[in-house]
Amino acid sequence: MPSKPRVLVVDDEPDVLLTMRLILEAEGFTASLAADGETALRRIADEHPDVVLLDLMMPVLDGWFVLAELSQRVRRPYVVVCSAKTGDADRTRAQDLGADEYVTKPFDPEDLVALINTLLASARRPARI
Amino acid sequence: MDQLPVGINERIRHEAKVAGLRSKRKPSIEMVERRRMQLWLVVLVVMLGLGAAAVAVSMASGTAFWITGQPWILAAAAAALAIGFCLYAVEKEVHLHRLSRLLVDERVLNGAMAKRLEMNSALFNAGKALNSVLDLDEVLDAILANALVLLGGSSGSVMLLEDEEYLRVVAIRGSEIGRDTRVHVGESIAGRVVQAREPLLVTQEVIDRELSGHADRVSAPVSSMCVPLENRGQVLGVININCSDNQEFDTIDLQVLSLFAEPVAAAIAKAGLYEAERAHVAQLLDSERMKTQFVASVGHELRTPITSIRGAVAASRRDIGAEQRIELLEMIERQSGRLQTMVEEILASARVDEDAGKPVLRRVDLSALVRLAALDSSVAGRPVEVIVPTSCEVRADPEAMRRILGNLIENAHKYGAEPVRVTVQQADTHVVMSVVDQGRGVAPDDRERIFERFYRTDPNGIKPGMGLGLAIVRGLVESCGGTVWVEDAPGGGAAFRVSLRVRSNDELKEEASAQ
Repeated sequence: MPSKPRVLVVDDEPDVLLTMRLILEAEGFTASLAADGETALRRIADEHPDVVLLDLMMPVLDGWFVLAELSQRVRRPYVVVCSAKTGDADRTRAQDLGADEYVTKPFDPEDLVALINTLLASARRPARI
Repeated sequence: MDQLPVGINERIRHEAKVAGLRSKRKPSIEMVERRRMQLWLVVLVVMLGLGAAAVAVSMASGTAFWITGQPWILAAAAAALAIGFCLYAVEKEVHLHRLSRLLVDERVLNGAMAKRLEMNSALFNAGKALNSVLDLDEVLDAILANALVLLGGSSGSVMLLEDEEYLRVVAIRGSEIGRDTRVHVGESIAGRVVQAREPLLVTQEVIDRELSGHADRVSAPVSSMCVPLENRGQVLGVININCSDNQEFDTIDLQVLSLFAEPVAAAIAKAGLYEAERAHVAQLLDSERMKTQFVASVGHELRTPITSIRGAVAASRRDIGAEQRIELLEMIERQSGRLQTMVEEILASARVDEDAGKPVLRRVDLSALVRLAALDSSVAGRPVEVIVPTSCEVRADPEAMRRILGNLIENAHKYGAEPVRVTVQQADTHVVMSVVDQGRGVAPDDRERIFERFYRTDPNGIKPGMGLGLAIVRGLVESCGGTVWVEDAPGGGAAFRVSLRVRSNDELKEEASAQ
């Protein structure tokens, strides 16, 4: 039996972390959480998640920094940016930095789960680092 | 009789010809005076010669036959010669004198002409300078520079009306005394000139009259001029020009300055319009920037709790435990509460603008309010140290004060660092309440702007908030008749200070009349 796909949720809002963990776990994922960019990078290095749900505006190191760090790597997880920033400039910048998807808050958690499944099903590139 | 030429040069040439000055060049005064001297010298020599001849004749009358035969003929001839010569000399003298006077007139006219040319050129330069610059400070400086050149003044200033009551020195040259001085309309020299709208030549006599009883004032120069600046019937201010030592202005100078004042006033009005236009554009840009910032921060702030609520709803549809379900319901409650607070904040800031929620001012015990706010804040996990007198009455609206304190304490926790301290200090007429934190403080450039709506020192929006808290504080403090500002706290951090009045105007009047 294949192991559960791992999803790292990065957001500085505790309630978003909590609800996403509940939903993802109910959907059969292994969810881990990070409330800032620094923790996110550490957990990506330690846990090799398949998908990262990444908020942009966060304390310590923000989502842009995490994206820039990941873009340097040859093998990296799928990154879905989940941000309250709705501008086209932010979307383009995130895509330039290698984000796979850009979802604006407030998002429908059902749609997000579907998106994660689509990404994992696609064979564009190896999901594992 | 010859018709005398009207032009002064023609007249000079005519007189020179009649007087016998045949030089090709126009005679100078010195030349004419020399010729007059020569004329009288010749007269003297001739007279002496004739006198000597007469004496010689009378002495020799006994010896010379041919002379003694008819002595009266000789005497008569000598007298006729003398009279004829004298008439000739007098006629020349008349013309020479006239020529001399004409030359003096010409010199005076030339001097005046040169002065007029200088004035015209200064006016032209001033006009050019005034038309080429639009910045009010530059315009004022150019005005003063040209006025001083024009009139040979040593120093000067331009005063403009700040409002209907006060004139302020806005530009000064040649002296630093009086910079930023404010004068009440109707008082002092400039104030009276503005009121009377009449140029004034300021002499020692005027100073003694105007400034009597002001022995402590800076001694004014002995001769100066003060001319109102009027544009389209509206007085904008005055221009003052002071004379250098050992010189005195006269009414002609006053006329020149009055003439000069007309384009100056127009230029000032133009620069004023330009400044107003520039300020208006800046304001529009600012409000556009604030609108964008508002949409961004409100958008962000509203989206975040909605994300949590939708997440909680989606999660609760899953197969989860009862305990987690309760946790999710609490989350929904908490996040919808957060949304409600935000909406109320936006509405409150709009209300402050409209002045709809005008507070009811009454005597309240600020110390008690501070203690209560500190307690609320500590319960919410934001501890506050309190240093207040046992009781301290101010005139304020208790509900407004509760919000002011709440917002300032929250602000200190959010943007500053603990410990957060609230102090109250009493003075005679005012009470100053301070909310002090130990954070990094507020940069000087931001100290005014942080009270603007939607202005945030944190442009990335990492700290939650819409930039409304301090704008609401300022609106409420002002509606209570107080002022609020921020400064560096001793030892670092920000100190938000709210100054409130202890008594109302009516109470102050009552107290004054009771005394």
